[in-house]
Amino acid sequence: MLDKGRFSSIQLVILLLMTEGATAFLFAPAGITKFAGPDGWISASILASAYGSLVVLVVVALGNRFPSQAFTEYLPAVLGKIPGKILAALYAGFFIHLSAIILNESSTFVHVAFLRETPPTVLDIVTAAAAAYGVYLGIEVIARQSSIVFPVWALSLLLLLILGIIELNPNNLRPFMENGPLPVLRGAGISTVFRGEAFLLAMLFPYLNQKREALKSGFVNLGVVAIIAGTIMAALVGVFGDSFVTIKLFPFFELARYISVARIVERLEIVVVIIWVAGVIVKLAVFYHSSCIATANTLGLKSYRVTIIPIVAATVIISEMVYPTHAQLIPFLFKPLPPYAATGELLVPALVLLIAVIRNKRESRQS
Amino acid sequence: MLHWLSRLVGGIRRNRPKNKPGSGELPGFPPDPETRTLSASLEQNKTVLREIFDRCADLIIREFSIGNQHPVRAMAVFLDPLVDYDLLQKDLLSTLMNINQTPPRKIIGAMLESIIPAGKIELKNRWVEVEAGVAEGLVGLFIEGENTALLISYAEDTSRAISKPVTERTIRGPGDAFNEDLRTNLALVRKRLHTSRLAVENMEIGAVTKMMVCVVYLKGYVMPGLVEEIKKRLERIKVDGFVSAGQAEEFIVDSRYSPFNTIAATERPDLLVSRLLEGRAAIMFDNTPFCLIAPNTIATDLQSPEDYYHRYWFSSFIRLIRWGALFTFLLLPSAYIAVTTFHHEMIPTNLVNSIMAAREGVPFPAFLEALLMELAFEVIREAGIRSPGPFTQTISIVGAIVIGQTAVAAGLVSSVMVVVVALTAITSFAIPSLTLSTALRPLRFLFMISAASMGLFGVMIGLSVLTFHLASLRSFGVPYLSPFAPLSWGDLKDAIIRVPAWRMKLRPRLIGYNEPQRQEPGLGPQPPKAGGNTNTRTKRGER
Repeated sequence: MLDKGRFSSIQLVILLLMTEGATAFLFAPAGITKFAGPDGWISASILASAYGSLVVLVVVALGNRFPSQAFTEYLPAVLGKIPGKILAALYAGFFIHLSAIILNESSTFVHVAFLRETPPTVLDIVTAAAAAYGVYLGIEVIARQSSIVFPVWALSLLLLLILGIIELNPNNLRPFMENGPLPVLRGAGISTVFRGEAFLLAMLFPYLNQKREALKSGFVNLGVVAIIAGTIMAALVGVFGDSFVTIKLFPFFELARYISVARIVERLEIVVVIIWVAGVIVKLAVFYHSSCIATANTLGLKSYRVTIIPIVAATVIISEMVYPTHAQLIPFLFKPLPPYAATGELLVPALVLLIAVIRNKRESRQS
Repeated sequence: MLHWLSRLVGGIRRNRPKNKPGSGELPGFPPDPETRTLSASLEQNKTVLREIFDRCADLIIREFSIGNQHPVRAMAVFLDPLVDYDLLQKDLLSTLMNINQTPPRKIIGAMLESIIPAGKIELKNRWVEVEAGVAEGLVGLFIEGENTALLISYAEDTSRAISKPVTERTIRGPGDAFNEDLRTNLALVRKRLHTSRLAVENMEIGAVTKMMVCVVYLKGYVMPGLVEEIKKRLERIKVDGFVSAGQAEEFIVDSRYSPFNTIAATERPDLLVSRLLEGRAAIMFDNTPFCLIAPNTIATDLQSPEDYYHRYWFSSFIRLIRWGALFTFLLLPSAYIAVTTFHHEMIPTNLVNSIMAAREGVPFPAFLEALLMELAFEVIREAGIRSPGPFTQTISIVGAIVIGQTAVAAGLVSSVMVVVVALTAITSFAIPSLTLSTALRPLRFLFMISAASMGLFGVMIGLSVLTFHLASLRSFGVPYLSPFAPLSWGDLKDAIIRVPAWRMKLRPRLIGYNEPQRQEPGLGPQPPKAGGNTNTRTKRGER
């Protein structure tokens, strides 16, 4: 085990919650609404979490077979040495790629919405450095930091949601399932990108205090995320109508801008920055940590810390080269990312689980 | 980076000749000081003493005879400033000189048994021990024909009177504070804890200063392993000069480069006692009016002893205000910079209008304005503490002019900025822990820089890094952010709010788990139900 840290099941819930929610609340709604129209709340809540529960089931089943190892650590044991190492390397790349996307999402939003004159590269570097510091300190510190930040994050989100719901017009949410279930399912496809991040549990499993509660924590997290995501979708579409939500880049940001209570509580975009940075740092730290662990496992390193700087630098470069503006990022998020993420987060782990069951591989008791 | 640098520097130092601090040859010390013992000849001992205490003008060697029938030669050796002459003359010299019978054969034993009426006497026969004893302020008694010296304590009481606390003031709390004398400080603690559970373990730090350090804790209550860890860390300190507790802190903290202090310091005996009762341990230093308490957490940094002397409603309210003050102090200047530089559109129109109107004509950008004013405040504050008494008045008047209306009238800063500086100044004094507020004072300038370069985003990034750092801190194994992270619900009762005393049934979970129960259950006030009148008996005329 490369990181000596430990965290509790409640910290796991918070960690996964912030990971799944951190970028989703800004980037997902427009895409979901594009497909699902006014029924986006069903896609984002029930359907997405149903998908998420599949991921959690697979991951926990794997984790119970190898309780003290991370996903990329036991791949060679399941698949054989060379295929296992190759897959672990692919996963390291997968995590690095996803980290770069998150980093890019972060700088894109901050650049578009707040600091138009600051180059996104600078924002990338600053955000990445802050998250990398957390990775350097270890998963235990990341978990603790997230549980400190979580109340602020959650309360700010709740504040905006409550103030948004006040303005909600129920007619915007009708008609219910006008074009049958297919659009709702396609909307859920967008949501799976974010909900599937529950897969990180496979990398976090060895650091869990009470491994028996992993499944429960996973489902609690999915339930809470479903409620939050569904409420966000309902609030956005209910306040603005689905056509407006579709054309806006960050509908939730518009909601914060729109809210005005008695002309005193208004211009709450500031709250969005708080939610955004607090969440993205945690999410990025978790992803970086998994990237580092995966890389260290692949290369057979004794410490994951040496990989932090190369990986962080790589994500900054990928983020800048591949997605220089949001014109490149947004289409990628909604088109190729869902199947790509689903492959890495559900299909391959399910296959690995299948092979592990067939070959009856599990961790030897001694270790 | 810092690790690497210090290792580099350490590597260079390692090439120098190794020299244990303070263990070098003392001038005039006899060879083999560790093993050399006293001789039976008074004259010889005197010569050695003169050599050891060469050029110590305040060393007094008083020669006299014991008894007046068959006198035995003897001498008393002591350092003039450290000894109480009154006691010495009455108790030692006159007693010994006026012995009427022949001095007994086993004179040393008799001295201990029945002749010298002193509380603390030690027998020493090695020169190192004698030197240490005399240097500490004991009176050395040498007798002709004996190769053992008696070290008797006639210490002059040089401690000042017990005074009021300077940094941690309360309204309803007791008004005694620690002073520089370790014995007085221990007395203040013992007076409050009438139990043999109160353990005091002595140590000496510093090869030359030989400062007395006590580790104080309650047996059975203290966090398991804590005392051993404290003693281990204290024993690591191998220095020659050691002057105060502040120095010790830097040697024994958990994270060497953190600005946050993971060891608390207090000058209040009542606070110390309540911490001991929670299962923490205290480290008391001679010559230091502050005692250290470990482990320390951020929640205890925001607690004031005053909280427990008022009703819990009020205490909870004040504590919430303190948390607010903490964040205001840290973030208000940077929020001002962020809003005026980057986010005009993000605050209500009327507010932005008045801020902008006030900033009209100010020649500096907001960052420079804030930086200048905050630095001016820091300078005034420093000058106020450091200046000799008579000048404080001058400083407060000049300070009021500098960061007051005049600066605004001159068009140098905006009036809103003055409000910001005044608020940060006041909030900084609302943080009860001096160590916490000193840790935050420089940090707020870093936040101002991040706000100036990246607005609110920069501030949030800064806060994330800060929370990462705080989450990584530990104080003797206890996370600094507990009870918030890791969360222990039970301990929140005394963190952000304070629940009534009768609800504090358990000690802090991570510290007092050796003996968790604090009080019997069901101690909440239970006045009689019927109208609440307790005076029913006399009413019926039974008495």
